[in-house]
Amino acid sequence: MRKRAQKMLRCSALTGLILAATLLISLFLQEFIPVDALVPSLFILAVFVVALVTDGYAYGIAASLISVLCVNYAFTAPYLTFSLTLPENLVSALIMLAVTISTSTLTVQRRRQAEIRSETAREAMRANLLRAISHDLRTPLTTIYGSCSAIIENYDRLPKAQQIKLLGEVREEAEWLIRMVENLLSVTRIDGGRLQIAKTPTVLEELIDSVLIKFRKRYPGQAVTVEIPDEFLTVPMDAVLIEQVLINLLENAVQHAVGMRQLWLRVACRGGQAIFEVEDDGCGIPRDKLGELFNGRMDVADGHKFMGIGLSVCATIIKAHGGGITAENRREGGALFRFWLALEDGPAPAAAGKEGSH
Amino acid sequence: MSNNKYKVLIVDDEANICSFIAAILESNGYQVLTADTCAQGRMIFASHHPDLIVLDLGLPDADGSELVGAVRAAGSAAPILVLSARSDEGEKIRVLDLGANDYITKPFGTGELLARVRAALRNARPGPAVPGQMFRVRGLAIDYDTRTVTLDGAEVRLTQTEFNIVALLAQHAGKVLTYSALIQGVWGTADAGSVKKLQVNMANIRKKLGARPGENPYILNELGVGYRMYSE
Repeated sequence: MRKRAQKMLRCSALTGLILAATLLISLFLQEFIPVDALVPSLFILAVFVVALVTDGYAYGIAASLISVLCVNYAFTAPYLTFSLTLPENLVSALIMLAVTISTSTLTVQRRRQAEIRSETAREAMRANLLRAISHDLRTPLTTIYGSCSAIIENYDRLPKAQQIKLLGEVREEAEWLIRMVENLLSVTRIDGGRLQIAKTPTVLEELIDSVLIKFRKRYPGQAVTVEIPDEFLTVPMDAVLIEQVLINLLENAVQHAVGMRQLWLRVACRGGQAIFEVEDDGCGIPRDKLGELFNGRMDVADGHKFMGIGLSVCATIIKAHGGGITAENRREGGALFRFWLALEDGPAPAAAGKEGSH
Repeated sequence: MSNNKYKVLIVDDEANICSFIAAILESNGYQVLTADTCAQGRMIFASHHPDLIVLDLGLPDADGSELVGAVRAAGSAAPILVLSARSDEGEKIRVLDLGANDYITKPFGTGELLARVRAALRNARPGPAVPGQMFRVRGLAIDYDTRTVTLDGAEVRLTQTEFNIVALLAQHAGKVLTYSALIQGVWGTADAGSVKKLQVNMANIRKKLGARPGENPYILNELGVGYRMYSE
């Protein structure tokens, strides 16, 4: 509602400004040259511009009516009187109206087309995503289907060790599918950041505890060094989604940080924000990928890694929380992912994100 | 021998999920009954009196929570283990408060399922603390009479409230107690600040029991739902 009022104010101000400017120019020119023929075309230009920069028909029509009166009153004989009875004045008024209406129609049409184009682009993106996902689903499903068929059809001939190996692979692929579906579900829970996230004050220590237990279940061998504030702290968030972000970031390190020896999970409070960091001492992020880590551009050839989706899910979740997320390479080698959430529930200040990122 | 087997009723309309849960339980010495609708579940429950019910909430004829209500209304204390999807804390809290004992998030592994089933059966009939009774799980011991808690033999100094929370969790070990159930049990009344008060007390208890994030050997936190004392 407020947005609409703002828009109306902006359009009215623009209309007034353009008409006033035209009037001033006309009065100025009047001092030097005969303007009787010039002024109507100047006002037609003004009406044209108004119709171009405002929404809908109303402002353009209002502008053309004002222009007609203006021209009639000040710039056509008899001067400084309204004389709508003269046929040429009526005709010029009609022409101006016609210009307005056709310009407004064109503008409205153009806007509608732009909307359709962006909708088409979104559809195309969705289709791409769907194609990439289907492609990625096929690989593990092929393994699962093939391995199970092999075991069922060759139950007596396959050595037990080989059966266990095949089944182990089936389980691994199924686990991977589960993680991917969880990520996709998280995205549908937000859907383009439009849906308001239900935030509950979550005890930081309990969140980290829950994340570590889940992470350890998946990667029992991987130690995580945890550094969190000592005091009791709650952060408003959708805990299920933030859990997903932290697990994605930790998992990303395990899968992509080649040569990693240590993995850190840190939380600190600064400037009214909780700042979460996941840091590793692995190979770092290739420079050419650093810029587009979070925009969901997926490398289909990357096959099983799928972090394209994992990280863009992180970005979507954090954005929906009103926070921010960054990735950088550490000077001493390795990658550092950082995201921040407001400690107080409320409209997150947009500028505060910058403070947290440095 | 076969007469002594625990009877487990699985209520789930997904035949494949039913079948693998049945396979896991049968191969671990449980007798398994299955139902694929809420109505059939009620019928089998009434005729066979199972020791444990494993219940999926999304059933074709009615919401699974209806069965929870029906079982508890019939005065049965048979533990109910709910199979739930990941992201609906609200749903979990609702069925727990209706009388379900525990939930297990899909998908789950064999080990996890068996541990939950064992825990639920062991604590099938939790009652008020009996004089002279002790609670023990690994290094933790709770003496309800003297109101003392020891960890590996050394006394842990808890406040009155902290002890009440620990004791309540211990009496229901293996069962998830929701925030509201704990608040009701410890303070009797709830207000706007109750959950935070409980969480602050839990943070102190964790510290005193030497828990660290990811290593919480006695009290498991179920994010957004409640807490559970381990029973083994």
